[in-house]
Amino acid sequence: MSNSFFSIRETFGKTITELGKQNKNLYVVNADLKTPLFLNEFARRYKNRFIECGVAEANAAAVAAGLAKTGKTVFLVSFACFSPSINWNTIKQSICYNHANVKIIGSHAGLLSTDLGATHQMLEDVALMTSMPGMDVFAPVDAFETEKIINTVFRSPKPAYVRLVRPATPSIYPKTLGFTIGSSKVIKPGKDLTIISYGPILNQALEAQAKLVLELGKKAPSIEIINCSSIKPLDFETIKKSVQKTKRLICIEDHQQNGGLGQIVASLLLTNGISPKFIHLAVDNQFGQSGKFSEELYDYYGIGISNLISSIKKLL
Amino acid sequence: MIFSRSASPLEKISQELRIDLLDMIYRSGGGHIGGSLSSLDLITTAYFSDIFNFKKDHFILSAGHLCPSLYVVLARLGFFHKKTLATYSSFGSILQGHVSSGVPGVEYSSGSLGQGLSFACGLALGDKNNRTICLTSDGEHQEGQIWEAVLFAKKYKLGNLINIVDYNGYQIDGKTSDIMPLGNLAAKYVQFGWTVTAVDGHDFNQLQNAYKKAQNSDYPNCIIAKTVLGKGISFMENNCQYHDVKNLPENLFHKALLELKTT
Repeated sequence: MSNSFFSIRETFGKTITELGKQNKNLYVVNADLKTPLFLNEFARRYKNRFIECGVAEANAAAVAAGLAKTGKTVFLVSFACFSPSINWNTIKQSICYNHANVKIIGSHAGLLSTDLGATHQMLEDVALMTSMPGMDVFAPVDAFETEKIINTVFRSPKPAYVRLVRPATPSIYPKTLGFTIGSSKVIKPGKDLTIISYGPILNQALEAQAKLVLELGKKAPSIEIINCSSIKPLDFETIKKSVQKTKRLICIEDHQQNGGLGQIVASLLLTNGISPKFIHLAVDNQFGQSGKFSEELYDYYGIGISNLISSIKKLL
Repeated sequence: MIFSRSASPLEKISQELRIDLLDMIYRSGGGHIGGSLSSLDLITTAYFSDIFNFKKDHFILSAGHLCPSLYVVLARLGFFHKKTLATYSSFGSILQGHVSSGVPGVEYSSGSLGQGLSFACGLALGDKNNRTICLTSDGEHQEGQIWEAVLFAKKYKLGNLINIVDYNGYQIDGKTSDIMPLGNLAAKYVQFGWTVTAVDGHDFNQLQNAYKKAQNSDYPNCIIAKTVLGKGISFMENNCQYHDVKNLPENLFHKALLELKTT
């Protein structure tokens, strides 16, 4: 792909700083990660609305909830491996059960945290947050969609979790396309097989498709690719329509199989009496590990481009 | 002993609420009676003296299992009908087993210990013109999150925050000093930069003075209230078997009721 690379987390920092300029009610509650999340400018400009909690994610979550109850819109910011991981129960009780309008930003999700290793490669956050009553869950595919999602959740009255990643990633989301909560976008239409995904790993579907065209020419399968960036609420109708047409489904995600999008969709399909040929490419009950390149980690854990291509061939 | 001295208005209310509380837990089939009886006077003083105005000030019950004491106070204040108390923790009742903001007059739902003080910090930070009172238990101070909040309140100079600790010395499994000793809690709070007052948690004058003294300043306020688990019912006092009671036998209910009525 010839797309430019942009940083999702840097875009988050810029977007929130811009929103902070227009909205005096916007607060950021931080747990000592303002630099990696590009919030130095926000902290400098809006000193009184930047609440630094230090390395204390549980306290930060409940402070955010209390602040939200005084009428502020609050973004709780950390790495996904700490928030919503360390503070899951605080999010459950103090944010969700108390209906506090807090937006949880979890950066550095997935194996894309490469060299940082297993403790920092959050592979369970989608499971943790989709199981939480009252919580919306979003994962932008790139920097452009990040900007749209942050603007959307800022206006939403509900708690939300937004999953961000560490490296700069290819930008594929059309700048003119909006973002709607509960809506999945068909990135590329096709008729032989459906691939669903979220976050930057979705790029592999586009790459796989391009490689198959190179390899097979006109005999290459026609693949429909769906960006499920709104993981909860999920636009199941778009997935259902596609799968009823293609009869084949692959879900690929930088997350554990257990509690991931693939299991959510498989359950919905069965409930609706739809049984496509199905492969779920996700981390299978393992911890991550350090690596210098996401490609080597993706290959090791069976979610690399070669795994995807062989899965496509297997289903056709 | 009956009417041997004239009770102050707060004492009289507290005596009546203790009977409501016993009745509520007996009729509904159970509840955390020991800590509710120890914390009742702290809540009664906050709500029935004229120190706070809870139309603006905030009351956060961090130790959510102590909700029977808050529920009887709110019923008496007319937030809901007293008859509702008997439905406590029953299916369909607004009175959840642990404190719930679905109950009129309740601002924060809790049950998982250690979070309320952090939530209170957020409220105190976002609403500096009013006061936030948080009730925690001594056992709850074993939760690490409490100390995260204690650091935070000092950093942000939350002088409008009061943490009142129901220090009854017991938790589910036994004495707090055996399960996990807190050491000198007052000294710890002082070291963390809070203003600390120690009171007898069943002395209404001391409680009122401590609440009054905890006025807005640059320092958050901690009131350590020494209380008695199961206060007012002899066989429950300092008996951690009565941390929680299920299906209190009728004879014990009447024994307890008689004690409360003749105190």
